[in-house]
Amino acid sequence: MAFGKLFTIAFRDLGRNRRRTLFTMIAVAMGLALTVIMSGLIADVYDQALEDNIRLETGHLQLRAESYESDKVSLKWEDLIDNPDEIAAVVDGMEEVVTAAPVLWGSAIVDTADESASLKLFGIETASPFHDPIREAIVAGSFLDDADRNGILLGQRLVDELGLSLNQQISVSAVDSNGEPQEDLFTIRGIFSTGIPAYDQSTLFMTLDKAQALTLTDGHASAIVVMLHDQHDADRVAAALSGSGLKRLTWRDLNSTLIDLLSTGQVIYNIMYAIVLLIVAVVLANTLLMAVFERIREMGILAALGMKRNQIMFMYVLEAFIIGLFGVAIGLALGGVGVAYLARNGIYIGDVGASVEGMALGTSMHATFDAGMTFWLSVATLGFTLIASLYPAWFAGRMEPAEALRG
Amino acid sequence: MAIIQVNDLVKTYQVGETETRALDGVSLTIEPGEFTALVGPSGSGKTTLLQMIGCLDKPDRGAVLINGQDVTKLSANRRADLRSQQIGFVFQFFALVPVLSAYENVELPLLLTGVGGKERKERVMHLLDAVGLADRADNRPDQMSGGQQQRVAVARALASRPAIILADEPTANLDTANGEQIMGIMQRLNQETGTAFVFATHDPRVMSFVRRIVTLRDGQVVDDVNAEAAIAEITPLTPEAEEIILTSS
Ligand SMILES: Nc1ncnc2c1ncn2[C@@H]1O[C@H](COP(=O)(O)OP(=O)(O)OP(=O)(O)O)[C@@H](O)[C@H]1O
Ligand SMILES: [Mg+2]
Repeated sequence: MAFGKLFTIAFRDLGRNRRRTLFTMIAVAMGLALTVIMSGLIADVYDQALEDNIRLETGHLQLRAESYESDKVSLKWEDLIDNPDEIAAVVDGMEEVVTAAPVLWGSAIVDTADESASLKLFGIETASPFHDPIREAIVAGSFLDDADRNGILLGQRLVDELGLSLNQQISVSAVDSNGEPQEDLFTIRGIFSTGIPAYDQSTLFMTLDKAQALTLTDGHASAIVVMLHDQHDADRVAAALSGSGLKRLTWRDLNSTLIDLLSTGQVIYNIMYAIVLLIVAVVLANTLLMAVFERIREMGILAALGMKRNQIMFMYVLEAFIIGLFGVAIGLALGGVGVAYLARNGIYIGDVGASVEGMALGTSMHATFDAGMTFWLSVATLGFTLIASLYPAWFAGRMEPAEALRG
Repeated sequence: MAIIQVNDLVKTYQVGETETRALDGVSLTIEPGEFTALVGPSGSGKTTLLQMIGCLDKPDRGAVLINGQDVTKLSANRRADLRSQQIGFVFQFFALVPVLSAYENVELPLLLTGVGGKERKERVMHLLDAVGLADRADNRPDQMSGGQQQRVAVARALASRPAIILADEPTANLDTANGEQIMGIMQRLNQETGTAFVFATHDPRVMSFVRRIVTLRDGQVVDDVNAEAAIAEITPLTPEAEEIILTSS
């Protein structure tokens, strides 16, 4: 039978109860729009978290001594790089590299009269562009310069929590290369606010020289942190530096926790999407079943004319397909508008982000249009509508024509 | 060879505890080109018999031979093929597909049997013309009167040039004039095409057109007469009917 006629009948049948058809299309559209927006928010959270982590902490590539173990924050000389300036200079000269800067990481404790906080200590080469994000995030006072032997930078949140203020002198103790505590007095030279609560709460900057002096590491660095023009070059640059005798870690290695979280998270998100689409499928199946019941006698007529079961079934699958197609089109439009709105305006989530470990989350969520995911969600939506039509279609096809004609 | 041969057909319906024997050993032979009515009181099994002949349902026992082939043994798809090629239906309710125009309704069986473009169009227009509705080709069923719809249904039943048309109470929902018009049209088409018509009816107007009357009672054939003799007895043709028949043939 000419496919065209089956399509015509299916299409016109949809017009018989316009409101019902429209509502069903809207249900499909809302389902898709919702999942597209959800995926957009999730994509943005991860993109942003990854980008922030790279920008503020890991860089695109790090060089470390072979024996360095990051979770121990070791400051033993054998775990450190002993000629960081030379190596940084070489790396900095590479074409792909924006900047390469030595850093020294340690653990510090800030004591006030009645409170103390343990922080991550960053000894930094203050002139390096790697630290521009912090330079730009200064909200009070000023950034450090290399000559500043007793200035430190603290995050706004920590300053507020401990009741500190700009230019206040405080005592900072750090563990030295022998594992002994060393204490000194510092002045809060600047206060930064990156917008990432976890970061603003637990980070302390001082100059590399001062950090080396305080921790007795004498010219050593924990790592050379490298920023690239293009993060895709990370593996290539890492390979080029294989002669350095240092361990080379790309942003993927350095953010593996986050990346793993993303892929385990994805399973959960996919289940959520499937649930949303399943609800849509139930709505659609219900609509079609109603239509089947209303048209039992017509199906008897079609059968009497010689239409076969599978052709009658196919007509209902086509109806679902048309609803699905329009629903997807509307859903993409709605989802696109939603994502665009959230990309621009975001949703305020407050401090929720501070409680998520291993992720630099801001205080508002934005959305990014995730084209790949949106494509798959559209395909899945259509797939679900087709699957949903199978039961009503089967129901329509299973009757003896005589039975159907009786209505 | 008989176009329809029904042998000792039994069909029982079970509703809850009660069992109804709608057909209780019916045997019947219809020759090509016959114009025959099945009559009998309500519940006597007329519709059931037409459904068995039309391959719309399967009997419990017995055989239905269409052109010598036992259709009760066929699969659902083969029965659908047989219906689209050999059998046309006209029902009491004007059984058009509501979303299709008159033209498209008549075209539908031709699409099912795969009749191609130009010929299909010619046949549809010819049939609509034959039932006097060429100018209504683009109308949907809800834009036509009952009589017009039933004429489209007749045109559709004839579209694939079937050997048999089964019409279950085709005049029951029509007024006298329309009822007689439709019977006149079918009679003419029967003569022109040689298609066998079998009616199930209570309607004396139908009986006045047919050439053979088979009477059912309680699922059995109790009488089978040549109608020519009976016609005068039952109802004389109304002047309108006579006129319609004369003008339409
Ligand atoms: N689907 C069914 N389920 C149960 N009983 C049925 C069914 N179809 C028909 N019957 C019963 O079978 C018998 C014959 O019915 P059928 O419809 O063939 O009669 P009929 O001669 O066409 O009657 P009418 O003149 O009223 O149309 C009746 O007793 C009817 O109640
Ligand atoms: Mg009946």
